[in-house]
Amino acid sequence: MRLARLAPVLTLLLLPWAAIACGDDDAPPKTAQPQVSASSLATATLSPTPAAGRVGGTMILATTTSTQDSGLLDALVPRFKDATGVDVKVIAVGTGAALEMGAKGDADAVLVHAPTSEKKYVDSGDLIDGKLVMHNDFVVVGPPSDPAKVRGAKDITAVMAAIATTGPFISRGDASGTNTKELELWKVANVDLKTVAGREETGQGMGATLNIADQKAAYTLTDRATYLALKKNLRLEILFEGAPNLLNVYHVYVVNPAKHGGVKETQARAWVAFLVDPATQQLIGDFKKAEFGQSLFFADAGKPETSLGLR
Amino acid sequence: MEVRIDGLRFLRRGDCVLDVPKLVFASGRTTALVGPNGAGKSTLLRLIVALERLDAGTIRIGGEQVRPDRRTRGHVAFAFQRAVFVGGSVWHNLDLALRLRGVPGDERRKRAAGAAAACGVDHLLDRPAHQLSGGEAQRVNLARALSLRAPVTLLDEPLSGLDAPARRQLLHDLPGILRAFATTTIIVTHDRDEALRLAGDLVVLIGGRVHAAGARADVFGNPPDAECAAFLGYTLIPDGGGVLAVAPRALRIGPGEVTFNLTVEELLDFGMRREVWGRIAGVPATVSLPMGENDNAGRLTVSAPERAVRRYCG
Amino acid sequence: MDALWEGFQEAVRLIVRGDAGLREVAWRTIVVSGSATLLAMAAGVPTGYGLARGRFPGRTLVLSAVNTGMGMPPVVVGLIVWLFLVRSGPLGDLELIYTKRAMVVAQFLIAVPLVIGFTAAAVQALPAELPDLLAALGAGRLRTLWLLAREAQLGILAAVMAGFGGVISEVGASMTVGGNIQGDTRVLTTAIVTETSRGENANAMALGIVLLVMAFAVNLLLTAVQQRRRR
Repeated sequence: MRLARLAPVLTLLLLPWAAIACGDDDAPPKTAQPQVSASSLATATLSPTPAAGRVGGTMILATTTSTQDSGLLDALVPRFKDATGVDVKVIAVGTGAALEMGAKGDADAVLVHAPTSEKKYVDSGDLIDGKLVMHNDFVVVGPPSDPAKVRGAKDITAVMAAIATTGPFISRGDASGTNTKELELWKVANVDLKTVAGREETGQGMGATLNIADQKAAYTLTDRATYLALKKNLRLEILFEGAPNLLNVYHVYVVNPAKHGGVKETQARAWVAFLVDPATQQLIGDFKKAEFGQSLFFADAGKPETSLGLR
Repeated sequence: MEVRIDGLRFLRRGDCVLDVPKLVFASGRTTALVGPNGAGKSTLLRLIVALERLDAGTIRIGGEQVRPDRRTRGHVAFAFQRAVFVGGSVWHNLDLALRLRGVPGDERRKRAAGAAAACGVDHLLDRPAHQLSGGEAQRVNLARALSLRAPVTLLDEPLSGLDAPARRQLLHDLPGILRAFATTTIIVTHDRDEALRLAGDLVVLIGGRVHAAGARADVFGNPPDAECAAFLGYTLIPDGGGVLAVAPRALRIGPGEVTFNLTVEELLDFGMRREVWGRIAGVPATVSLPMGENDNAGRLTVSAPERAVRRYCG
Repeated sequence: MDALWEGFQEAVRLIVRGDAGLREVAWRTIVVSGSATLLAMAAGVPTGYGLARGRFPGRTLVLSAVNTGMGMPPVVVGLIVWLFLVRSGPLGDLELIYTKRAMVVAQFLIAVPLVIGFTAAAVQALPAELPDLLAALGAGRLRTLWLLAREAQLGILAAVMAGFGGVISEVGASMTVGGNIQGDTRVLTTAIVTETSRGENANAMALGIVLLVMAFAVNLLLTAVQQRRRR
């Protein structure tokens, strides 16, 4: 009799169990989250992606938070699924962590933006078949009052030196591509990190770091795509941009299956082929262009590395 | 049914806490199992329902050896010292006990109602069992055991946890209730007066051993040893190499068959009677003092009749 | 203040409209956390019962371990599960990492000490004589177990509430082990993190309200059962 009264509770708890048995790993529905970012995709007039045909299976893509926070991968992954039947599990972490996942064979492909860090993993043979995918650029953002007078500085070296004396500066501090670039810029400007006034590390992704910098009226370095995506909630303004060494270049790699057993080589190669495919490249170039009036990413597949000042 | 124990030994952490070579609880009689705290009384009850495992010997109920199974337990009703209940009403608790015994529905209703009425708790049947007062709980505990109408009924300290009026009331009612419901009954108690009031037979258990067993008058009137006598309330007075045991309330003022000197310590006046508290040869002793008797003496001569005094050798 | 109000309005809009994406994330959250709780119940209630009633060497050690586990930070559980299930880990070949199953495993490990601990406490709170009473009345082993479980049901319900409440609101382990993959392993808590870092505060707020309402609804249901049972 008492058990009968407990029945609704048990049913409530049992139902999901029945569901999970069949609910796992089948086709991911495309309406997974309540947000509107994917709508820009609908306006792109493109032929279906002519990538590698039916492949199927799943793969793990280790990538940076910027590709996720900007919404780009949410637009690309379903198209790749349509074209190849491959489920991509996107793990958005800092570039450092993404490279490390590749080096351990914990991912099948990596999409990252720290060419100097990437070199080590290419040399060790963990990552192979690197392809240039796209770039955007880093910008220095800060409070409109601009206490360091960064606006109109003559070059990035002067910008970094000025911020070092006034501060505050919020750093990702998470070994991401952005963090790597930041450290490189301090070095170029010949600034000792310890001397930077009010430099703090968040250890979080770009979106979170921008929010923190905004609240603290601090300077930070960000990729343009994430900044634009979050701009409506921020008081931070772009104070310095356009210097040649502020380019933010994305490469995609296959994790070396010869070194790491279990890597889904076929799927990973299909993903690389998909990213550099002209149709995908056009999609990348047009991503949210209508919304922001400017491109978030510039498609670069097939261009020589030297055209972006690399190598 | 008779309960017969042979060669029983029970160990706890290697120590022998019960050693009973032979003991019989006679069929149809009420026996009080008495002894100081820690004597092993409750353990013996638990052994009879096979809640503990014997280390040696046998216990038989009606000739059948006890086992931790439904058959053995079907012969025995057990009221634990602490009255514990499952959630739900008093009725639910009585009903559950009978249900676990496989008693059919109509019979259950009849028996539960009968036992509740006999124990004076029929007005409590719809009350949540967890909200009973101490006295009510003990009566329901008793009713639960008696409703089973088992051949053997075990009551562990049925009057514990009651306040004085409730205790006196139940002590008064219990013999009648037991006559009406129980057959062979074993009552564990550490209280001599309770034992004498409730049972025709006495078993004195001290330190895990049976010191005396038999009819009430025999055991109480003739304790076999000093320890037993002390437990039964005798005053033990050193006498040469041995000891004299004087039965409770046997001392009188003035000389008699066996005479002692009492050093008076305190005089308690209860209005209609008085009591002298003092010592005989250093041992605490009490004697009634009739009204009007001289009460300012520092020493009194007191005595007891020969038949109320036992002698034990050191 | 604006973000709060807008978030609330957006939340109401999304919920009233029955937004498909929202519904899906919410349902997935119930599936994952419900399964983990159910498994934790299946394993934790008997274990808690055994710990409370059993006397065996090392019992104190196990109880201490359970009590430690009750306070274990979920993110640490997540990290350990991740290290086991990741491809280069000892169980990498199972290919469980970044799936709902992996999340269920992690949440199970978070919930099970809670369920064990609360169950053990509930059973230990029963009068010590009760099992003996039932045995002496002739109840068999299983019957005794069932009757005792019924006596401890309030505590066992509390155990389930604690377990479910613990895992449904947990973000660290789900993020690490599930990977927060859109349409696959993104649950309410990780979706809130994503929406927040994207600056979609209204969406984040909507998800937060749904999470709150869900946790509240489950607890309301269980509390109602509990109150009805208490008399």
